[in-house]
Amino acid sequence: MTMDPAVSLGRGLVLPNPVGVASGTFGYGFEAERMGPIAHLGAVYSKGTTLLPREGNRPPRISETSAGMLNSIGLQNPGVEVVARDYAPRWREWSVPVVVNVAGAGITEYVEVCERLSDVAGVAGLELNISCPNISHGMDFGTDPKRAKALVEAVRRVTELPLIVKLTPNVTDITEVGRAVEDGGADAISAVNTYLGMKISVKERKPVLPGMGTAGLSGPAIKPLALAAVAKLRRAVELPLIGIGGIGSTEDALEYLVAGADAIQIGTANFYRPGVSAEVLSGLIQFATDNSLQSWRDLRWSD
Amino acid sequence: MIRSAVKSASELCGQSDLSRAVDEFATCTSVELLQGTLFEIRFHAPRVAAAAAPGEFAQLLVDEGQVPLLRRPFSFSRVDISEGTVSFYLAAVGRGSSRLRLLHPGDRIRVLGPLGRGFSLPSSPGRSLLLAGGLGAAPFPLLMDQLIGRGEEVIWLNGSRSSSELYPDHLLPSGIQSRLIRTQDGSKGDPGLVTEGLPELMGVVQRIYACGPNPMLAAVYRSWASEVAAGHTAASLEVSIEAPMGCGFGTCLGCAIPLAAEGDESGPIGLCCRQGPVLPAQQLNWDQLLNQPAHLG
Ligand SMILES: Cc1cc2nc3c(=O)[nH]c(=O)nc-3n(C[C@H](O)[C@H](O)[C@H](O)COP(=O)(O)OP(=O)(O)OC[C@H]3O[C@@H](n4cnc5c(N)ncnc54)[C@H](O)[C@@H]3O)c2cc1C
Ligand SMILES: Cc1cc2nc3c(=O)[nH]c(=O)nc-3n(C[C@H](O)[C@H](O)[C@H](O)COP(=O)(O)O)c2cc1C
Ligand code: FES
Repeated sequence: MTMDPAVSLGRGLVLPNPVGVASGTFGYGFEAERMGPIAHLGAVYSKGTTLLPREGNRPPRISETSAGMLNSIGLQNPGVEVVARDYAPRWREWSVPVVVNVAGAGITEYVEVCERLSDVAGVAGLELNISCPNISHGMDFGTDPKRAKALVEAVRRVTELPLIVKLTPNVTDITEVGRAVEDGGADAISAVNTYLGMKISVKERKPVLPGMGTAGLSGPAIKPLALAAVAKLRRAVELPLIGIGGIGSTEDALEYLVAGADAIQIGTANFYRPGVSAEVLSGLIQFATDNSLQSWRDLRWSD
Repeated sequence: MIRSAVKSASELCGQSDLSRAVDEFATCTSVELLQGTLFEIRFHAPRVAAAAAPGEFAQLLVDEGQVPLLRRPFSFSRVDISEGTVSFYLAAVGRGSSRLRLLHPGDRIRVLGPLGRGFSLPSSPGRSLLLAGGLGAAPFPLLMDQLIGRGEEVIWLNGSRSSSELYPDHLLPSGIQSRLIRTQDGSKGDPGLVTEGLPELMGVVQRIYACGPNPMLAAVYRSWASEVAAGHTAASLEVSIEAPMGCGFGTCLGCAIPLAAEGDESGPIGLCCRQGPVLPAQQLNWDQLLNQPAHLG
């Protein structure tokens, strides 16, 4: 292949190829590293990281649905200090860029986490999760364009790291929030996070998952919805887009590139097909060769 | 919600060695239908077989076509390293297990394993009590095989609701010292629960291994804990437990189990797939475990 598979997400963040693994579906990369090679990856997006350690929600936390799964993990993570101090030095030894996914309960927490990670070697970029449905108020930033913009501006002031903002699909018009974070100074947008869903047990006459019973839906079931969100965003913003939702094959990844994504993330499929990212990448490269692509952008749908 | 001073789950209980797991394209070599919906399914998976240990499990990708989407965890039930086969003992209870029952010799599916932490084996021989309720018998033939191979005396206590749910004798290895059967309806063996008469048995063994529904395991734990407290037994107790699993290797954080920490009633959250599925019984928070809805699937 003559084409360079690398993709640029802005502010100097260049991924060796478009195939990344989504936050919360790959831990901090260390489990996968034990199980097989990971050097082929375009990027690892870490588990959502908060200021202090979080224990996460009480079980049960997951349940399978038709071609999908619901999760209510509750952002279990060791806190930013452990990530910066213990994990980042290990990432420094990797050729794969690691983007830390950041979550918080308010602007102050996001700012503090991002500040802590700012000059840490081994951290290639930040992905702001303004859309986690599993902690109270976690979705407020992602559903309100003004607050989303204010958050991005506040984080932008404290870090020179490439800043990706991850959007929730649980809004009336995802392009409004997309434009707001572009105005706020984001370098790239990733879309989408999980859809709000529920599963009911008729036997128990209540939802399967605890609390309100709502949880995040992911997997092949959401792919058509997520593709539509990415295609809409492509028409609304100039920023590089990372497409996420139900990707489990080369064909799925290609569909996102056609819809306007510059890169993709594989999520739930990592659970049932731990080798999937390597297959998708080699499939993409094969496709590029067979079709004499000059750039992934050649795939884009233009009307 | 926030805890930092408390020991982490892996500090407290250790964790599985993921470097041994292989995702192997396995060929089904037999499906033996047993009583009711029970069956034993065998696969040729030489790399998984070579690494599998008692109490560890594999994740079976029942269908590449996304329904059901997630893999299903099953404990290694019997392993034949020379033939390169692994067998699983299960009941057709839902989408995944029912599909497996319909596989034919020659069909191929992905089998990822070994995963999790299994039973600990004795360094010098003594006597072990293996206690199973219903499908909880699954991991024991392999464990027995290895215990007997080390010169251990094995007492096999198998309980179930009725005789149709007992583990079939013809699949057990030879060399078991004594076999005790309990059925709740009295259709075979002694009528009653596996926990009846347990204290006496606990007094004459060095090790107890248990697998079955959570309420049964909790009852075994309580009985054991009071015997230990009374100084009537010094036996260890290991249990194999279940949790819904998204991955089986520690990345989805879906298989949370409540651990017990010393001096702290509710310990950290552990992962069934990494700290378990086999744990020393005292490392689990049984009150919380019992409060969890079971098998809402
Ligand atoms: C580490 C580990 C090891 C396991 N080892 C074994 C094993 O060796 N043999 C074995 O049979 N099972 C074992 N299980 C349980 C097994 O994984 C589940 O029974 C299986 O996933 C059910 O999948 P399914 O698709 O058939 O059912 P699903 O379609 O997921 O569920 C369908 C229905 O069955 C019910 N259901 C699910 N599981 C059970 C169950 N265990 N008993 C009764 N009802 C149930 C659900 O509530 C649901 O209503 C193990 C589980 C774990 C976590
Ligand atoms: C178990 C689980 C945990 C997740 N945790 C996070 C998280 O911590 N932060 C985040 O931004 N997204 C998280 N996600 C969302 C995924 O990154 C991804 O956006 C979503 O699952 C859709 O992609 P998929 O259909 O390929 O899984 C999680 C998803 C799953 C299934
Ligand atoms: S099953 Fe995914 S973390 Fe245990």
